[in-house]
Amino acid sequence: MVDNAWLIPLFPLASFFLLLLFGKRFGSRSAEVGSLFTFVSFICAAVVFTKSLHESSYKQTFNWLTVGDAQITVGFELNPLNVLMLVLVSFISFLVHMYSKGYMNGEKRISIFYAYLGLFTFAMLALVMSPNLLQLYIFWELVGLGSFLLIGFYFHKQEAKRAAKKAFIMTRIGDMGLLIGMILLFWQTRSFEYSVIFQAVEAGDISQSLLTFIAIMIFVGAVGKSGQFPLHTWLPDAMEGPTPVSALIHAATMVAAGVYLVAATYPLFQASEVALLVVAVTGGLTALFAASIAVVQTDVKRVLAYSTMSQLGFMFLALGTAGYVAAVFHLVTHAFFKALLFLAAGSVIHAVHTQNIEKMGGLWKKLRWTGPLFLIGTLAISGVPLLSGFFSKEEILLSVWDNGNYFLFTLALLTSLLTAFYMFRLFFSIFGGEEKTPIHAVKESPMIMWLPMIILAVFSIGIGYVQTPWFGTFLGDWLTNENSHHEFSLWLMLIATIVSGIGIGIAYILHRKSSLLTEGESSAYRVVANKYYIDELYERTMIVSTKAVSRSLVYIERYVIDGFLLVVIRITRMFAKKATKLQSGQVQQYGAIAFLSLAVLVVVYLVAGGYLR
Amino acid sequence: MNDYLLPLLVFSPVIGMIMIWLMPKTEEKTLKQFGWIGTLMPLLISLFLYQQWLTGVSLSSYQIKWNWIQFGNLAMYDDTLYTIDFELSLDGFSLVFILLTTVLSMLAALASFYIKTEWKGYFLLFLLLEIGMLGVFMADNLLLFFLFFEVTFVSLFFLIGRWGYVNKEKAAYHFLVYNGIGSVLLLFVIATLFVRVGTTNIDALTHILNVGDVALLAPISPFLTDMLCILLFIAFAIKLPVFPFHSWMVRVHREAAPPVVMLHAGVLLKIGAYGMIRFGLGIFPEQVEKLALLFMIVGVISFLYGAFLALVQTDLKLVWAYSSVSHMGIVFFGFGTLNDAGLQGAVFQAVSHGAIAALLFFLIALLYERTGTTELNELGGLAEHLPIFSGVLLTAGLAALGLPGMSGFISEFMAFLGLFKEQMLLAIIAVIGLILTAAYTLRAVLKITFGKKTYSMTWRDVQGIEYVPIAILFMVIVAIGVYPMWLGQLVQEDITTWLLRIGG
Repeated sequence: MVDNAWLIPLFPLASFFLLLLFGKRFGSRSAEVGSLFTFVSFICAAVVFTKSLHESSYKQTFNWLTVGDAQITVGFELNPLNVLMLVLVSFISFLVHMYSKGYMNGEKRISIFYAYLGLFTFAMLALVMSPNLLQLYIFWELVGLGSFLLIGFYFHKQEAKRAAKKAFIMTRIGDMGLLIGMILLFWQTRSFEYSVIFQAVEAGDISQSLLTFIAIMIFVGAVGKSGQFPLHTWLPDAMEGPTPVSALIHAATMVAAGVYLVAATYPLFQASEVALLVVAVTGGLTALFAASIAVVQTDVKRVLAYSTMSQLGFMFLALGTAGYVAAVFHLVTHAFFKALLFLAAGSVIHAVHTQNIEKMGGLWKKLRWTGPLFLIGTLAISGVPLLSGFFSKEEILLSVWDNGNYFLFTLALLTSLLTAFYMFRLFFSIFGGEEKTPIHAVKESPMIMWLPMIILAVFSIGIGYVQTPWFGTFLGDWLTNENSHHEFSLWLMLIATIVSGIGIGIAYILHRKSSLLTEGESSAYRVVANKYYIDELYERTMIVSTKAVSRSLVYIERYVIDGFLLVVIRITRMFAKKATKLQSGQVQQYGAIAFLSLAVLVVVYLVAGGYLR
Repeated sequence: MNDYLLPLLVFSPVIGMIMIWLMPKTEEKTLKQFGWIGTLMPLLISLFLYQQWLTGVSLSSYQIKWNWIQFGNLAMYDDTLYTIDFELSLDGFSLVFILLTTVLSMLAALASFYIKTEWKGYFLLFLLLEIGMLGVFMADNLLLFFLFFEVTFVSLFFLIGRWGYVNKEKAAYHFLVYNGIGSVLLLFVIATLFVRVGTTNIDALTHILNVGDVALLAPISPFLTDMLCILLFIAFAIKLPVFPFHSWMVRVHREAAPPVVMLHAGVLLKIGAYGMIRFGLGIFPEQVEKLALLFMIVGVISFLYGAFLALVQTDLKLVWAYSSVSHMGIVFFGFGTLNDAGLQGAVFQAVSHGAIAALLFFLIALLYERTGTTELNELGGLAEHLPIFSGVLLTAGLAALGLPGMSGFISEFMAFLGLFKEQMLLAIIAVIGLILTAAYTLRAVLKITFGKKTYSMTWRDVQGIEYVPIAILFMVIVAIGVYPMWLGQLVQEDITTWLLRIGG
């Protein structure tokens, strides 16, 4: 089975082609087709997972291209990190496939939707199996394509079009960093293989400054994909896509690819302290920055989007402070509870047909399943003890504390507080209080939608126990292939719990005052509500200057280049006219010209002594 | 058989020409079919050659050499002195371009079904153009190359000038002037070499000029050699075209009929790349090495310049035209790197752009046929009513912007790989162009397919025979993107030989 693991991504790919070509015939049964293929993929991934708990990593490659004396290979690699991602991605993708059957019910282009989901799942699964950077880059771009297609799924909407384009271009800016880093590594090591690169790094074959530059460039790629500051602006806009897509791509899997990338190339970062610091600071600042924006948003999906940014920032913060296991752990727990939250939010939107939390309220009694499930997700992300988010967040705090950077530690604590606050603000405004606008016929979603949510909820509660101070550090041992003893720090847990409690408390008090923090006069409020004017800043700098360059080049094209062309044409014409006049029919004139020409040739011959040399 | 296969390949379109010539000019349907059938014969022969290559037959065994022209009688010195033979030969590098020519000619002939007038003249010229293109890629001496080059030139002039959009005559005239200058420069170089060295055979020239153990009748000074090299490169830079010689090509792309542009963008521009690599690098390796940095800089400028201009065009044809300028910049700087990765990237990009540009202009034909316009401002929301066309246009756009899994990615990637090795800073600047490429492609494609609807109910989606070019071109694009080795192997050997000559 393990040597046939390359089949895992091919099932969703088959689903993509099948649905793209014969989608019309399948009609609404496309949902079953897509889900079935993803399910097979998940089963295979699970089998590989159980096998690899005991086996060491497995790698298989074959030649793809020759560049000079270097062979570029493709293949697949199964190491603990890859297998973990494999099973995580296929599992959540399958659940989202299931859920979408209910959510997208009645959509005319449902076969296209499932085709795109298949394409994305294929690319994401292939990405996490890549044994080298080039292959990772290939699928890295393809997951971007999947994301682009699904954001723009409602293509007739102007906002969807803009958001899709923005997502593609913003992430491509990041991708260029990855491309630069990757090519520079190639010329240092003559290979894209992780193993070869790590050997070269260990042996010190690459100079320190270049290594730092390369690591930062690779990190730029991660920043773009994971929606970190300053390349984050596409992620909130990406919420234009259907909600299940937001759950799968823009919360659980693709945006976590950036974290995966840094984790997969971790030896590069470990070799450069500067690069680690850049990762940590970017992550920490983004975590706080995004959390602060989430506090004042009124669109439920946007709150969750900023929350995703913030949580991803947390993971980078962990990576930057040598908390490899902590980051991967949080990636896993976050995938479950954030997918749960998005699906639950989708269920709410499905019921009330609005995304604006100001128009919601009092839904607890009406949505018997969704309410408690949303609460579980909220508790998990807020770091309430004994749920998964608590353990992973505590692990991250510990890693930051051990690193000794108190500035970053403060950032992390503040973010924790804000997280608990904005999540409960969201929860109370949707489910608590009274109905603000009378919404008729609010119905709970069908089973096909709440069943996946229940599964996710179970994991959101329980997955944390794979890595706890009390029962053992299975995840860490497996990932790092050694028995690590886990430091137990009660005071940190207490602080984390208290901080979350304060956040929840503030949210509750504000809820009682029925304030949503949506109106304010202060300039600070305006800055945050306008997302720190980053979009406007880019609009006025990057976009305007690009357009200015283009326009000035249009003038160069019109007057200089075309002008040159016209001059050439005019000279040609002039010669033609002169030459026409010579055709006078007078033999004397012909003779004179012939004689003159001969004279010139003779002179040239005498002066130059033959040919021009 | 081997002795006649290459001439047969070059002149096989003549069969179609005779068939068309015998038909009355009012038989629209038959003429179109004959035109298409005429392109099948060269396609089959070229596929046969490829199949032979796959089974391990040496391509050089097809070489032919027939006595043709002799100047004076110098047999007492050397039999071959001042003779020009009719000689054709084949290697992996030229086979790649021949396959590109035959496949695209067949598809462009299909796309020519939209031609509305004077079918007889059109298809006669079309097949004549194919003869020219095939000859260019097989000619083994410079004079023969030049003659075939002029055949393409003349036939293309009429094709542009008679069967295009509003300003077609003007575009054809610009084409004539600019390419005429290129031809003059080329002829000057060829004539000088012939007079000085006594041969125009490419292998012989390479040997005599670079190994240098043969006494020349009239020795060439280093200065003159440099000049000849520069003139040769200007001639091919006009053809490719690179900045600042590109404006004629933009006009041709805008005004000529889409099938003609398919061939023009797909094959004819590549003659520039072919000539630079085969003759430039072959005959003047030392001079090319000296000019390499210039090539890289000009290539990067072309790449960025085309991308910036494509970003603000309002006509889809012009977006694709400037995109061609930009993509040819990649060929140019890939060539300028003079290393394995870069050269391979240049060749890949030439082929890849051939397929992608042909597809994009085929889609222009489909679009214009339905909507009567290619103005971005007049189009929008086509995905609603023409979902298949929109899907194909989007996929073609993604291929053009270098999405992995398709040919554009691997060629751009290798060209950049090469550039990073030689000039890191320049390469980092050039990377901006990759972002711009995504921006202008998505801007144009999404403008047409997404958003507000503008359509009429009578427009039909892609249907019937229109699927053939789309399917074949996608197959080529994806085949190169997914498994580039099959193309790489064809040219790998030749690249190694060229690089040995410059001692790198």
